[in-house]
Amino acid sequence: MSRLAERPPVAAIPRPRPGTPPIPSVPEPDRFTLENGLRVVAVARPGLPQVVGRIVVPAGSAADPRDAPGTAHLVGSLLTEGTDEHSAIELNERIDLLGASLGVRVGHDYSEIALALLAETLDEGLDLLARVVATATFPPREVERVRAESLDALEARLDEPANVADDHASEAIFGTEHPYGRLPIGTIDGVRRLRRDTLIDFHRSRYRPDGGVLIIAGDLGGGDLRSRLETAFSSWDGSVERPLYPDLPAGPEPSGPLLTIDWEDSAQGEIRVAGLGIPRNSPDWVPATVANYILGGSTITGRLGANLREDKGWTYGVRSVFVPGLHPGGWIVETAVGAEVTMDALEEIERELQRMVDEPVSAEELTRASEALILSLPHAFETPGRIVSRLATVEAFDLEHDYWHRFPERIHRVTREEIRSIAVTCFSPDRLARVIVGPKPPGEG
Amino acid sequence: MRSTFKPLSLPHSSSTLPNGLRVVVHEDTTSPIVAVHLMYHAGSKDERVGRTGLAHLLEHLLFEGSENCPKGEFDRLLERVGGTNNGSTWLDRTNYYEVVPSHAVELALWLERERMGHFLPVLDSEMLDVQRSVVINERKQVYENRPYGLAHEKLHELLFPPDHPYSWPTIGYTPDLEAMTLEDARDFYSRYYAPDNAVLVLAGDVSESEGFELANRYFGDLQASGVRERAATNGHVAEGRATELEDRVSFPRIYYAYAVPPFGTNEWIHLDVLSYLLADGESSRLQRSLIRDHELAQDVDTYLHPTELAGIFGIEATARSGVGPDRLRVAVDEVVEQIADGGVTDAEVVGAIRRVRRDHLNSLANVEERAEELAYASTVLSSAGRLEELLNAYATVEAEDVQRVAQTYLGVENRATVVVVPGGEDEPIG
Repeated sequence: MSRLAERPPVAAIPRPRPGTPPIPSVPEPDRFTLENGLRVVAVARPGLPQVVGRIVVPAGSAADPRDAPGTAHLVGSLLTEGTDEHSAIELNERIDLLGASLGVRVGHDYSEIALALLAETLDEGLDLLARVVATATFPPREVERVRAESLDALEARLDEPANVADDHASEAIFGTEHPYGRLPIGTIDGVRRLRRDTLIDFHRSRYRPDGGVLIIAGDLGGGDLRSRLETAFSSWDGSVERPLYPDLPAGPEPSGPLLTIDWEDSAQGEIRVAGLGIPRNSPDWVPATVANYILGGSTITGRLGANLREDKGWTYGVRSVFVPGLHPGGWIVETAVGAEVTMDALEEIERELQRMVDEPVSAEELTRASEALILSLPHAFETPGRIVSRLATVEAFDLEHDYWHRFPERIHRVTREEIRSIAVTCFSPDRLARVIVGPKPPGEG
Repeated sequence: MRSTFKPLSLPHSSSTLPNGLRVVVHEDTTSPIVAVHLMYHAGSKDERVGRTGLAHLLEHLLFEGSENCPKGEFDRLLERVGGTNNGSTWLDRTNYYEVVPSHAVELALWLERERMGHFLPVLDSEMLDVQRSVVINERKQVYENRPYGLAHEKLHELLFPPDHPYSWPTIGYTPDLEAMTLEDARDFYSRYYAPDNAVLVLAGDVSESEGFELANRYFGDLQASGVRERAATNGHVAEGRATELEDRVSFPRIYYAYAVPPFGTNEWIHLDVLSYLLADGESSRLQRSLIRDHELAQDVDTYLHPTELAGIFGIEATARSGVGPDRLRVAVDEVVEQIADGGVTDAEVVGAIRRVRRDHLNSLANVEERAEELAYASTVLSSAGRLEELLNAYATVEAEDVQRVAQTYLGVENRATVVVVPGGEDEPIG
């Protein structure tokens, strides 16, 4: 007797039809500006006793001095290494005793100082945050230690073929003259040469309240948040503008050669297909989001995932992404496939891209993508951390304050023609750079 | 100094259907979404030698459609309602979950019903071959082709004897994956994918009465599979075993693992506090000593797995350039010994408890993780209510508790060691 008979078959229940979806609710933040010019965006979410905050200042690597790549990143890494009131040790003991986490992420456009706190330590935490951004002291010993750590990290990241592929893709799109073509962490030579004075100057000129924004959400307590913030940030002043960006390069050389980097004995080939995207605040961002979702933004149901993973089993995952930026960022397809099918996989990716260019997407695909993007809003605003991320996007890229409120109607308006036009502009294979990091293909031996 | 912690509360109700399915409902109307979580009490520990990776491969297969929901439909249906879904396999359990806007709860339940009751008829060799290939690629991408990627696999092989179910990796060994048959998949499924071996959690914008009613409607008619025998568990025998692996890396890294009391015990909680006190935060003992004071490590981390047969406590550190693995080992050993011999301060314990709490709050902030935590407590500790108890038990941990578990469990004889060293020509002077 077959094992299937161990449990009798069960009757099918008809698939339920979902009723009316809940209306996506997007929080209405309080917005105000402190006396020192720091903009504040706050959302009260009582419930769990936690607070998440983020200060965003235009102190990303795009603001690095021309001859000192890596400055912004090293400054970010050193913010929590001493203030006018604390040595590095005292500061970190203080943060750890509060049960807080205070981390800095330096990207191309911005530096973001992220804080997570228990609600019961909110005031102390805000004080520390203010001290750190306003009065970091860059003690010489810590500068040397963190510099040496950065140099080791620069070396270690090249152990990963995925990083090597990413670096070559960025360079192929932007060259090395544009900030988006360079890593925020800098170069080994550059980091070696950075001077402490340069770091101090960068911090003094770029970490300023007027020109930055604080986004904060969670259990903000009963008191007047604004006056608490005025107190915490009272000793921080001055203003900062965004850095100037060089002109954008024209993008990868049309139909340029395939760039292959030999990675001996690698079990997989890392593939990147990449080109120029669009600025985050462009009106095209919304149709581009839908177009990308259909192609590969959704890793399993997107066309790339359905083909390379679900149909062929060549990869654990493949996705495509528009990188958000003040200026046009990259648009990148990324995957790692079994080494033996690397070239086949690249061909399939190009075939899928060409199909987006040649044929309109189906009405069904468009509806499915639109519904998915709109109905995921409640999830996207569920927690204080996610609220902060969504609102940071609005602030960092100058989106309208009602951007997320109007997101559903904008998505609904996207047409198949707009998607096609995005595909022609961004997905045309002859405008894209192709990078492979993996073992040499057979025959090239 | 003692800090007071307001107790965390996670109100919920539990009930068991006649077929043995345990159902937990946690109502929270903050956002109009619901997490539907199905956890099966079966993981890689329920596999046998020669067929490792089966639980995880089966998880992949269970995303490939069912009798009334063809391949691809599963994801598309959820996508259409703004839902997300995923699954994961670990040592003790396999889980499947959806987060959906509140209007689509029934759809998620129906899909999980399909998974539990209507899968075997669609399982075929083509499906098996494609997913076997995806999983072998996953193994390559996540483990083999990643620097240091095989260290944990080796570590568990050293920490447990070869017939202990924690000794092999959840992803499985490639020859075992290649040997897997349809019969293997059918057997595992028939044995473990049944209501009496599962917990269903509904968390979010759903009322208790609706939750239980829906659970009964979608799962009440599925048949129990009866009592499943569990793999016998052998004690671990690390005996200070150590090995060295060469990898294509620039810096040596050391890995320690210790078998400790299982999740749910008081000592596990003490060890968790110890773990935070050792390496969470830049002033923590290991970070301070290895990274800041002596500049021997680029990074150092600890972890404690909430596992059922034994907890697994880990320490790992990557050397700075010019530092050999032996110096790093001595430095880690010294820090652990200092705690075993000299104890810790009350302030360190308070800070560590607060940081644990920070991370708990972070995961409890969303219904997806809340549902998973409730399901896990219910699966491994037999009661979802134990979760709240555990979360609040940290407040009573004292400095002596932390010192005692360091003395008892972090001895050299208790641990397995893997040292990964750069292979090839570019080996730094150690």
